Formats: sequence, structure tokens, C-alpha cells
Amino acid sequence: MPHINYDNKEINFKIVYYGPGMSGKTTNLVHIHKMLQPDHRGEMVVLDTDEERTLFFDFFPLSLGRIEGFFVRFNMYTVPGQIYYEASRRLILEGADGVVFVVDSNPHRLPDNIMSYGMMQDSLGTYDIDMQQFPLVLQYNKRDCQNPIPIGTIEKEFKLDGIPVTESIATQGAGVMETIRLATSGIINQFKI
Amino acid sequence: METTELSEISEIGNPRDALATLVTSSGAKTALLITKEGIHLEEAGDTSYLNTTALAALIAGMFSATREVARIVGEQQFSILLQQGESRHIHISLVTDATMMVVVFEDYQRIGRVRHEARKVGSRLAEILHHRNDRDQARKEISVPQFKEYALNLIDQIFTKR
Repeated sequence: MPHINYDNKEINFKIVYYGPGMSGKTTNLVHIHKMLQPDHRGEMVVLDTDEERTLFFDFFPLSLGRIEGFFVRFNMYTVPGQIYYEASRRLILEGADGVVFVVDSNPHRLPDNIMSYGMMQDSLGTYDIDMQQFPLVLQYNKRDCQNPIPIGTIEKEFKLDGIPVTESIATQGAGVMETIRLATSGIINQFKI
Repeated sequence: METTELSEISEIGNPRDALATLVTSSGAKTALLITKEGIHLEEAGDTSYLNTTALAALIAGMFSATREVARIVGEQQFSILLQQGESRHIHISLVTDATMMVVVFEDYQRIGRVRHEARKVGSRLAEILHHRNDRDQARKEISVPQFKEYALNLIDQIFTKR
């Protein structure tokens, strides 16, 4: 449910990029930030460690513009991927209007992808989110790796029918903008006041 | 019924005025009202030196993390957080379950005053927010089908051409 501030005439949505460690969540955000015109993006906040691993979250506000007199914004977040930051991930998912799940296509990362997706489902469940209605995009990233995980693997594992799926190589920017287009469109299609 | 509710709201005041009162009475530099999801709602005082959007996101994250810390040590939550710097300090307090108030002040000697005024204004803000219904107000002004159509067009414009 987006946050509506009537006095300031603002509608804020929250999008979270979720996925296992090093799957490319921050790379997605950095690319989107780079590609947007300055009037569509706010300052990017990156909280990472010395090894450039996300510590808490990365964030930037993406402004869509004024619609029906209201200023519409998507607040973009990533979660830290490492297993031991589960509490942080759960907190960041709170209030999310949509999620992009970034799959690492390297075959040896399949168990990590499955574990991470399961954790996400569990966390969203604690916020009473109905996964059937929830805007979710599955992004298979790192498609340039050797023997990438076949498209359909995660969908089959979690019985996801009709979910939007994209392929990407986030380090080159391929598929990144299409993913965010699908994620934001999915959220808008679910919009209710 | 609607008229009564509206007049009640105008008597109670608005969050911005409440924050402005806090800034004046405590000598603080800035006061913000933010949601626990990190959305900046209102502000008063000088905000020219701040990125309020980023600050709101970071403080909400910090507050959430502190809530987990509280649980680990057997507390429900810590209702106040204080960050002491060299020349600027931040006082964060819960207003409602979903909102918190952030006060930036410069003279640490005034901490007692800030704390006192924050508590007073916090209760007032809670009352104001309790009477506010942004969704009902927005519902009167926004046509959802039109909103969706415009938004989807904008999304295509912004993301497709790249």
C-alpha cells in the first residue's frame, strides 16, 4: 500500500531489490540511477563494507512526476544479500509495494537463489502479503555466465505462474531498465486508494 | 458529519505547525516527521543543509535496527534515540507506531529542553495524525483509472527509450 501524504500532495511507493549475495542488486540500482535524467532521481545512498558488500541497504528516490496533482515517487531499496543479514532484509521488506528478485544465473548459485527466495516469501508472509497479488518481477541476472540456470527454474521450484521474468547482464546494463519498467508498471496496475 | 470532522481537524492543527512550535520552543535547528518506512512527511526549521529524503530513509533503517536490538535485550522497543555529534545532535522519538520525529539541534546544553518539548509536541502530533485521513482526502481528488493511465505512460517514456 503506497504512502499518501495529502498535505504535501505526494504518493510514495517502495520497491525492494532482493536476492542472494553478489547477485547484482546494487549494480541494478546504480545503473538505473545513472540512466535517469537528473529530474527523475534523487541522491543515491550506499551503505557498504570495505569489500563493497551492501551492509544495510542502498537507496535512492525515483521521481515519476506529477500525476493528477500528486507528486509520485518510487523509493528504491536493495537488501544486503549475505545470509547473516536476514533481520535487516526483513526490516527493509516492510512496507514494500513490489519486489524485484535478482537471480544469480551461475549454476552453482542455484541453492542460494532458492534459499533467498524462500526467505523472501517467509518475510513477506509476516507482513500479511498475499503473494498471488503482490507485484514481483523475477530477473535472471548474469546471463553471460557459463551454463546459466535455465529460465523457468525458480518459477518451477516455487510454482510461480504468469510472473514477469527478465534476463539481464546488469554490469553491462542489459535488461536492467526493462526490469524496472515491469516492476513499476506492476505496482501501478495494483494501485488502489 | 463530514463538516464536523473537518472542523475538528482544523481545530487540532497540522503537523507542520506542531513541528514549527517545537523548533521555536526548544531552539532546535530542524524538526522532521517521518514514517517508519523512511518517508519524509513534514518539516520545520532550516532544512537547507539536509537531504531530507535520504535522511528519512536512513533514520527509519536505524530505528528499525534499534528495535531489533531492543528485542534482543528483552525490550519491546527503545522509544528515544539520541546521537551526539561535535556540533550537531539528533534526537529521535516515536510519535505513533508508524511515525517518528527527528529533531536536529546544535547546543547540547539544550538537550533537556529538546527532550521536554519533543515529548509535548509528540503527543500533539499523535493526536493530529489520529484525526488525519490522507487516503479519504486523496480519494476525492484522484481518479484511479486516469492515474494509472498517466503513470503507465510516464513509466514507458522514462524507461523504454533508454
